[in-house]
Amino acid sequence: MSGATAAAPGVAVGVDVVLVEDVVRSLERHGERFVGRVFTAHEQEACTGPTPVRARHLAARFAAKEAVIKLLRPDGAQPDWRSIEVRRQAGGSCTVELSGTAARLAAERGLGPIAISLCHEGPVAVSVVLAAAGGVPAVDAEAAAAG
Amino acid sequence: MNEQIRQILAEQAGLAVPVETLGDDDDLFAAGLTSFGVVNVMLALEDALDVELPEHLLRKSTFQSVSALATVLGGLAPTMAP
Repeated sequence: MSGATAAAPGVAVGVDVVLVEDVVRSLERHGERFVGRVFTAHEQEACTGPTPVRARHLAARFAAKEAVIKLLRPDGAQPDWRSIEVRRQAGGSCTVELSGTAARLAAERGLGPIAISLCHEGPVAVSVVLAAAGGVPAVDAEAAAAG
Repeated sequence: MNEQIRQILAEQAGLAVPVETLGDDDDLFAAGLTSFGVVNVMLALEDALDVELPEHLLRKSTFQSVSALATVLGGLAPTMAP
């Protein structure tokens, strides 16, 4: 329980929206440095294709990362975006895996597993994330961050 | 350094108002800086100053204003003029 504080029982929710054209612009301006600084190797492999297609998938994942950060509500430094990984499952659904600072913050908030939904339509990508908050005892924050 | 930061904000931040209308201490998020804008500003500043912003400085307060950015970046790039 070191450093872990169970929040009041309830449900935590986060949502974020990203303009696909902003991601296209970042790909044009910063190229693979943008991709490598924000997205994990798994996410990069899941987001391929011509720039307009790739940008839609990356935009949805960036929205997911920011939605998770809203869920985590960091008081100080926010987690590195790569410590929040969107994993594509067989069949097309997605899950979230946390590591490092993101995992520690989730443990401190007593968050349960995070459910995630992503979508992109035309110019926008949206993600919503949901987790039980404080409904279960918080796990050891250091162990969670190490895992 | 403030002028370099302002130039990058003008090019990358997608603010709702011209950066030249903002004071050094004005709130950039109130001026329209988004979380995605932060990424572009961060990458451009890192390129310009040849530094990498560590995770512990990846916080809203770092990007709150021109002067906040100058203070943080000044600590990372001590050879730059203030």
